[in-house]
Amino acid sequence: MRGPVHPGRRRGRRRPLIAGACAVLAAAAIAGCSSGATGPPVLNVYGPADGAEQYSAAAKDCTAASGGRYSVVYQTLPKSADDQRLQLARRLVAGDSEVDIVGIDVTWTAEFAAAGWIEKLPEDVAAQVRQGTLDGPLQTATYQGALWAAPLNTNTQILWYRKDLSPTPPATWDEMISASERLHQQGLPSYIEVQGAQYEGLVVWFNTLLNSAGGQIVDEDGNVLLGRGDAAQKALSVMQRVAASPASDPSLSVNKENDGRLAMEAGTAAFQINYPFVYASIHTPPPDGGGGGTFIDPQGKPTSADTGRRVVDEFAWAPYPSVVPGQPAKPTIGGINLAVSTTGQHKDLAFAAIQCLRNRDNQLRNAVEGGVPPTLSDLYTDPSFQAKYPAWEAIKNSLDNASVRPLTPGYTSISIVLSDLLNPPAAIDPATAVPMLADEVQGAANSEGLVP
Amino acid sequence: MSLQSGALAASTEQVTQRPGGPTKAQMSEGKRAERNLGLLLCAPAAIIIVLVTAYPIGYAIWLSLQRYDLRFPAEQAFVGLSNYVTVLTSGYWWQAFGVTMLITVISVAIEFVLGLALALMMHRTLVARGLVRTVILIPYGIVTVVAAFSWQFAWTPDKGYLAALLPTGSAPLTDFGSALAIVIGAEVWKTTPFMALLLLAGLALVPDDLLKAAQVDGAGPWQRLTQIILPMMKPAILVALLFRTLDAFRVFDNIYILTQGSNGTGSVSMLGYDNLFKAFNLGIGSAISVLIFICVALLAVLFIKLFGAAAPGSEPSGRR
Amino acid sequence: MATTTGDPRTRVWWGVAGLVVVLYALVPVLWILSLSFKTTDTITDGNFIPRSWTLDNYAQIFSLDIFTSALVNSIGIAIISTVLAVVIGTMAAYAIARLDFPGKKVLVGVSLLIAMFPQISLVSPLFDIERAVGLFDTWPGLILPYITFALPLAIYTLSAFFREIPWELEKAAKMDGATPLQAFRSVIVPLAAPGVFTTAILVFIFCWNDFLFAISLTSTPRSQTATVAIANFTGASQFAEPTGSIAAAAVLLTIPIIIFVLLFQRRIVAGLTSGAVKG
Repeated sequence: MRGPVHPGRRRGRRRPLIAGACAVLAAAAIAGCSSGATGPPVLNVYGPADGAEQYSAAAKDCTAASGGRYSVVYQTLPKSADDQRLQLARRLVAGDSEVDIVGIDVTWTAEFAAAGWIEKLPEDVAAQVRQGTLDGPLQTATYQGALWAAPLNTNTQILWYRKDLSPTPPATWDEMISASERLHQQGLPSYIEVQGAQYEGLVVWFNTLLNSAGGQIVDEDGNVLLGRGDAAQKALSVMQRVAASPASDPSLSVNKENDGRLAMEAGTAAFQINYPFVYASIHTPPPDGGGGGTFIDPQGKPTSADTGRRVVDEFAWAPYPSVVPGQPAKPTIGGINLAVSTTGQHKDLAFAAIQCLRNRDNQLRNAVEGGVPPTLSDLYTDPSFQAKYPAWEAIKNSLDNASVRPLTPGYTSISIVLSDLLNPPAAIDPATAVPMLADEVQGAANSEGLVP
Repeated sequence: MSLQSGALAASTEQVTQRPGGPTKAQMSEGKRAERNLGLLLCAPAAIIIVLVTAYPIGYAIWLSLQRYDLRFPAEQAFVGLSNYVTVLTSGYWWQAFGVTMLITVISVAIEFVLGLALALMMHRTLVARGLVRTVILIPYGIVTVVAAFSWQFAWTPDKGYLAALLPTGSAPLTDFGSALAIVIGAEVWKTTPFMALLLLAGLALVPDDLLKAAQVDGAGPWQRLTQIILPMMKPAILVALLFRTLDAFRVFDNIYILTQGSNGTGSVSMLGYDNLFKAFNLGIGSAISVLIFICVALLAVLFIKLFGAAAPGSEPSGRR
Repeated sequence: MATTTGDPRTRVWWGVAGLVVVLYALVPVLWILSLSFKTTDTITDGNFIPRSWTLDNYAQIFSLDIFTSALVNSIGIAIISTVLAVVIGTMAAYAIARLDFPGKKVLVGVSLLIAMFPQISLVSPLFDIERAVGLFDTWPGLILPYITFALPLAIYTLSAFFREIPWELEKAAKMDGATPLQAFRSVIVPLAAPGVFTTAILVFIFCWNDFLFAISLTSTPRSQTATVAIANFTGASQFAEPTGSIAAAAVLLTIPIIIFVLLFQRRIVAGLTSGAVKG
């Protein structure tokens, strides 16, 4: 194949190049490999970044409690739920055998189960998990009548308000909007902080309002009920009025949970709809938390000068405001469920480990240190828990009235479509939006349409 | 990335002016050896290109004809062109397409004007010439994600120096118009220097004598620009515009960081990405991918047909 | 060269114009640099210049495994891709510039196509193929597409450079008694090296910059590159915003670029514009 013309010149040029290429390829191959370990099997738990400290501690305790059968390592996923799901799903579709246990958002149970990414809980495990666990959280871990995951913690929103600005908490959204506008007219902090950005949090807001008004997005059989009755229109009207009010936060349409928390800690908000982590934050000194920093001046406005009156001392909590006066709201239930991946190699051990990770001690630690509500009902009656978790009563009430987001594999698509159509909330036209919402949700539920 | 564009012209000219090849019958031993060596040297490049682009694009076309959602593995089936129908009848596609075209047209137009001004300035300045040529490479070289974060922080209320210049209460990244303007600004900032360098190279070809002669004949600066400089730079301008247009059409990084595509600011690349990795719908996602590919091909053809096939440097050169 | 006269007033105007350009190029970079030095409580003050300085943000990101591993991945993947792309590109460019063979036109044409190719079009099939063959979330899984998209750049830049080389010199050296290898080494290599080096810089910048492939074809610290790691930063604790960490990491990612630009400004410009407008 090689010609006789100038052989020396050409060979001389080629050889070092090929040698170089081989060396580099070899280096790439080595770098791509990792070596195995010895000792008890390692169970990797992939879960959210928020609360990672407590979950890591639980992993350590469970390793110790296993008596050398396995060791549990908590691997932190990104902070945003979308990114967590993305990373988990990509690993699972790629068959990553290092994923043993996944800590998944309550809304992904149906999707992960239908896609074959998580294992159904065996009957005995399921029976143990059901025992003593609150109803709402259990419902979120159920798909087609079977339990696919074990509720680790739950979550629910309540109303946080400034008692210096609003001595009695508003009971309904209408009351809250007029209170906020009143404060605005007086030149006082007036914002209502709620999740208005184009993401899951906005759908949570909508779902809570819709359920509180007596509606539902999709029923258990996958039928889209969004368009029935006037509940959706009522919900949309509340969202639009909150966002379009002159007293509202101008960046409401990009705010997520943390932005609302920060705004209220900075003294610019009078109300916020948020999770109980607000409490943990105001009791954590800066820079890790928001407990301090801003003060209230004699006019009631925020200042960084020490006036002796800290903003966070004025924080109080109350039940989620109603949409229909006299009917308690139905806050959307959140939280994390633990499931065993179909790609892991030690599934039996993993089923044992998830029960340990969600045991009473670990749930108590998650609640006290991380602020997330437990899923075991008897903790709520335990005086020592109540003492360390002062907002327990409002939270328990919220959980008892909870509403669940659609338990369908297409939920993420539904959520993306909804969050796109509902953002920015100020631009919603409650009178005309409902049929379009119902239509798009229908397509998304069947995975037939595009997601924006 | 727009790295490629620069060198294109020179190499295509190689092809167009290839010396008349010998026919097989008269091919000498030496020629055959040369041919074999040529093929051998090009083989690795050809194999990688086929492996990583030709095969996947074929696979993408096949995927785009399937109902294939990773969340519904049992439902995979051949569905013909229905994914294309779904995409092309969806408002989201046309919204993204409009946004992408808007970004492309506006940013390339601004880049051209700014780039030309920058090129003229670099061509003529006596002051700090080296410094200017060095610093403008920074926007070109900087990682797009890094620059995008810089803009994002700059425009975030209460955090950024640019947001501080706006009236209080404005949140520029959350409004469709201003968010799009910020995305375009970020694109322009990053790619104007590249445009300027390409135009500068074209500018170097304009003979000074000609400009001096025109000046003597009484042509003003504007006349000299439009009558002499721009026509003589046409090949360089076309190459620069073609590649920036195709590059701008692929915009992804800036939008991903700056707005995540919210408020309708997503580009077609964002839409494809979201359908692949949020909905895990490989069928629809592939259909979007193929449509983007067709758009880019059409744009390229349009450019070359509209402005003359001469675009990437087919002018003969006597070298070799 | 058509330059202005050197009178002081004109010089001042050119100076002002130059200053505007320098500010244009540097302000966004200085801003991220400033953010990276701000303390947690001043990071939201909106000041362009930090009121109090700290190195905490840098200490912070290096304490995160995710970032150090991402940096290693970025450097390793970019270097390997660069070396391979330049080696393969050099072979092809040499053939294109110097040899006559069938299919040359096709190769050049296909490379041209790839230069214009929308990367997103490859993401969905590559994702599905790579997860099937086990390349997903590995170094080679990223290196392969990087080489592919860097090849047109390498081939074009290099063949432009190679055509500038006076190959007759090699013949002359051999006539003077040098062996072919000596002739190649002492004459051709020094002439070709700058072109190869320039190409390597451009390819490296391209790989270093990539985001779309990196975010689509990786999922773990095993192969996640720094651009993706930055976009995924979560902040030190539940309540901390990651602005400072992102800024510090962004500055680190910019350092190699600044070094290249400062040391090799002429080369980069030559590489970017080589042949674009030769007439």
